[in-house]
Amino acid sequence: MRKYTISFISGLVILCVMTWLIVTFVNYPEIKNLPLYTFSTVSRIVITLLISIAWGVSFGIFAATNKWASLVLTPFIDLLQSIPILGYFPMVIGFLFALGPLGIELSVIILLFTSMAWAIFFGVLGAVRGIPTNVVESAQSFGLTGWRYIRHVVLPAITPAVISGANLAWCDGWFFMIAAEYIQYQGQVMKPPSGGLGYLLARAAYFYKDMNLSVILLIFITFIVVYFNTLTWHKLMERASTGTFKPVFRMDLSGVGKLGIARARATSWLHFGRFHWPKSFSIASQRLRKYTYIEKIIAAVLAFSAIFFVLYMVFGQFPTLAMIRAGFGEQPAEELSRLPLLIALTMGRLTIAYGISLAVAISMGVLAAEHKRFAAVFYPLYDIGQGVPILALFPVIFLGLNELFGIPGIALELTCTIMLVLDMIWYMFLNIVSAVKNIPTEIREVGQLFGFKGFKRITHIVIPSILPSIVTGSILSWGTGWNTIIFAEYMPSTEPTIPPLSLPGIGSLLDKAGYEFGNTVVLIFLLGIIAAIVLSMEGFVWRRLLRKFEKYHVEV
Amino acid sequence: MLEVENVTKTFATEKTKMLVLDNVSFSVGNDEFVCLVGPSGCGKSTMLRIIAGLEKADSGKILFRGQPITQPTPKITMVFQLFGLLPWKTALENVEVPLEVLGMEKEKRKHVAEEYLNMVGLEGFENTYPHDLSGGMKQRVGIARALALKPDVLLMDEPFSSLDELTAKTLRELVLDIWRNPTLPTNTFIMVSHNVEEAVFLADRVIVMSPRPGKVVGDVKVDIPRPRTRYLREPVYFRFVDEVVELLEKSKTKIKDENPLSLTADRANKPQ
Repeated sequence: MRKYTISFISGLVILCVMTWLIVTFVNYPEIKNLPLYTFSTVSRIVITLLISIAWGVSFGIFAATNKWASLVLTPFIDLLQSIPILGYFPMVIGFLFALGPLGIELSVIILLFTSMAWAIFFGVLGAVRGIPTNVVESAQSFGLTGWRYIRHVVLPAITPAVISGANLAWCDGWFFMIAAEYIQYQGQVMKPPSGGLGYLLARAAYFYKDMNLSVILLIFITFIVVYFNTLTWHKLMERASTGTFKPVFRMDLSGVGKLGIARARATSWLHFGRFHWPKSFSIASQRLRKYTYIEKIIAAVLAFSAIFFVLYMVFGQFPTLAMIRAGFGEQPAEELSRLPLLIALTMGRLTIAYGISLAVAISMGVLAAEHKRFAAVFYPLYDIGQGVPILALFPVIFLGLNELFGIPGIALELTCTIMLVLDMIWYMFLNIVSAVKNIPTEIREVGQLFGFKGFKRITHIVIPSILPSIVTGSILSWGTGWNTIIFAEYMPSTEPTIPPLSLPGIGSLLDKAGYEFGNTVVLIFLLGIIAAIVLSMEGFVWRRLLRKFEKYHVEV
Repeated sequence: MLEVENVTKTFATEKTKMLVLDNVSFSVGNDEFVCLVGPSGCGKSTMLRIIAGLEKADSGKILFRGQPITQPTPKITMVFQLFGLLPWKTALENVEVPLEVLGMEKEKRKHVAEEYLNMVGLEGFENTYPHDLSGGMKQRVGIARALALKPDVLLMDEPFSSLDELTAKTLRELVLDIWRNPTLPTNTFIMVSHNVEEAVFLADRVIVMSPRPGKVVGDVKVDIPRPRTRYLREPVYFRFVDEVVELLEKSKTKIKDENPLSLTADRANKPQ
């Protein structure tokens, strides 16, 4: 407890000193608002977190206990979360801007919500479904029903999932904060009325082009994230997983990925103390399989009605064929003729980044899980890497590389790749570490007994056992990669006279349609294409691989 | 053949040190079939792993033909409770892989692996993955893999406890056939079990161990003529079963007085 107080106070002191130093020695007018901006960003994320928890817990329990709710809600929400989150954004703000400053604040919160809520929902859903049958049956036989059942069985069972899901939501919130607070709409920057750290960082990088200030702000933000993580989440998770807490478990809990279920299972698994291997694998395959045809049809119908609803909000009436035709007649519709090329370019970027992440993550993950010395280096690296809001790195890296090369195009291309790698690698790393750690003792002993050593051990024992987890990690990596590339292919303009910088690709086209031209028809069309690519990759690549590796599962 | 001399082993967790084996000594002769019997958590599996060279004793030593064992050797192999098959290899490949590690060439090791799979009655399942085999078949692969190395000593860690009783019965007969087979070099068997009937049915000697910390509390020589199937309903069989059970009960009550929760704690610690 004393240690806790000390870290609380010393962190606060460091924070105050940093704020004071920045405010005093930096000479831009907006910097004076740093304390206010910090406060507004933190409270924005906290408010959204509370909304997300309330929504996630109630809907999660509802979807898990009610047959009809699970039939309708779950596939629909799953579909929503598999569409790149940043893609919603221009759609959301399109009609909210009419509401004035409040509308901007609201749109920031809505965007944050769309990036934060899923983890909690799926965490709760998985935890409720993961309550062992014998517990459910004994509760029934003792007459626990209704609210009592929820209070004595459901709530204790979902607590770890809620905590880890909320922690993930918290990190996701910081991740998307810079995108949410620096809104470009029809060539204009919409400043949130109460400002924000993301806005300030974007301003420092895009408008002032001040490398030093950007780095200082980035360190400042990272410190806040790590500070809050140590103060709250580490403690909470420790308590939630009573006794079984270990660094690896925390990593397991806090960052398996955007697919909440994986995390939920990890926690429920912890909670009931069962040994399950490889959990991430079985969950992903479950997720891919669990929907029946009826569920898929209902989800598709709901998705279409949601799209129509948004269109209705945007246009003030239901879209007619003429409006759609008009949309395809306006800017940037002529670029659609190059669509196959643009998709290929974007896919190429993702593939290269994925290849790099895969290679690095496998070597790092295996080393970290097998050798304590490497773990001592890689785990703290992971902790900080996870703490840095990666999107916030975007302007900083770009600025640095631009100074180095002097050619904005190359700098942006490199920035894009670095961003993608930094984003994708942690999911792979995490999954691989936990998979290596979870290789069943018997398999390890077989390797030892029959004399596998060095390279042979890696190829015969280690790599095959972690293949399923590599696939799961890949699914998560690609999911987050699609989110990031929409942001990373496009550099907002710094001054009204200079056009924004962008790499040719479907991500940047989406941004142009949304930010520059406000062409909702093209935007929705592109979103549909991306969703189709994501879904067909899941169907044609990942599902097949998962089925192939299903045999690798060891019953323990 | 094999001497276990004053083996002591503790497991240290972050907070506590737990003594699992306390000064354990016994010896196993050539051609002997020995069963280690004891309650869950008495360290009998740990004992077996120390003999296999998978774990190191804190003090004491294992002598195999007079030589100390410090690491796994092909002369002593093991059959696992949960079979320990590599799920990404077919039945044949699972038997082949240890031979490959020994440096046997491809044609020969395939031939050897097929021969041993036939011996355990798995012809026709060479190219099946463990996933598609029943529990009994998996354990047959495990036995074939261990025997293919032509070891002198075969260790078995509760090899039948995850199988249903009918399958276990068949496999017990298979194991006895292998043990009696004069053409196979493997004729010293050490098996860990918590099933007293099984131990008395199979073993020449039953070594009884106490709950944690594991100590040898009895060494029962089972003088029932083989084949023993005929004696399964005879008083002589039950006399030996009773003798072993009595030794187990006695060692248990001693511990129970000290800590009534120790047995439940054992069960809770056991991975599911």
